[in-house]
Amino acid sequence: MGPVMGREMGREMDREMDRDKEPAPPLGVCVGDALPPFVLPVTSTVIVAGAIASRDFMPAHHDSAFARAQGAPDMFMNILTTNGYVSRFVTDWAGPEAMIRKIAIRLGAPAIPGQPLSFSGEIAQVSDEGDERVIEVTIRAANDLGDHATGTVVVSLPLRRPLSRSSA
Amino acid sequence: MSKEEVDTVREQLERFIGQPMGAPATAPEAVNVPMIRHWVDALDDRNPVYLDDEVAAKTRFGGLVAPPAMLQAWTMPRPKIEGIAERGGAPDEMGAENVVTALDQAGYVGTLATNSELEFFRYLRPGDLLQTTNSLESISERKRTGLGLGYFVTWVTRFKTSDAEEVGRQLFRIFKFDPATIGGAS
Repeated sequence: MGPVMGREMGREMDREMDRDKEPAPPLGVCVGDALPPFVLPVTSTVIVAGAIASRDFMPAHHDSAFARAQGAPDMFMNILTTNGYVSRFVTDWAGPEAMIRKIAIRLGAPAIPGQPLSFSGEIAQVSDEGDERVIEVTIRAANDLGDHATGTVVVSLPLRRPLSRSSA
Repeated sequence: MSKEEVDTVREQLERFIGQPMGAPATAPEAVNVPMIRHWVDALDDRNPVYLDDEVAAKTRFGGLVAPPAMLQAWTMPRPKIEGIAERGGAPDEMGAENVVTALDQAGYVGTLATNSELEFFRYLRPGDLLQTTNSLESISERKRTGLGLGYFVTWVTRFKTSDAEEVGRQLFRIFKFDPATIGGAS
């Protein structure tokens, strides 16, 4: 309830700011606000597509029999793909001006086919550095096995835009 | 092993600390749009700064940039597919002896990745050619965890462009454990 209310208030603030031609969302976030949640339906295809796009050919990321022989419950998502989805989760919210400065995660339960991954995030800190607003987001990606990844993403946004606002 | 006994495995690992984990690596090719498109489609990441020239040009990036989490992908070694399973997934033959092979030989054959910390100093643009260097930061004392006895091994990889600008860094930590000691007494 709390974080949802925080987000609604944040949106209200954003609308006020838009009216005054002030910076667009999500610059107006407050500590405790939640990011829009995201659920990734993890399938073999999702895992293999991410592994090959990241040029990771380890059999544990495309071969279920190999992964099981190694003691894993099934083929599992590689870390590059996990970092990619964490980045996407934050920039889907923060927008194209966002620059990810840091992704620090602790790795836990594997992400395996048939186990949707639920991403959640909460604003932990907001500070201004020069002409940037720096936002620290606490993130969690979990499935029925437990926490797949927990940690922190630091993202920066420009306080002023060098050019007129794009329509994006 | 009694508490008074010296951990000879750990003592032998000391020499690896501060040393490179392997030879410096150069990316097989420069940051490029085809590989970015492959990633964007694979992860369904529709941030326009990765592929939409017009939108990207109007952002503070001033043009297309690579998804930050692709950092490691650019310098992944070219894989030798034949025999990859027999090598435990290693993309190519392991080079010189390093802390991982030393722990394997001492019976700590299990590997679990526990932490990844990526830092991005600037976003990569098509044409950037990356090189990496890495160094072993630390090896813990021997620990007992739910997976048995083992050592936490931490290393840092630095990513630089061909003109030596450091664009990113990754701290990576694994737990190397002896699967035979799961749930056992020390």
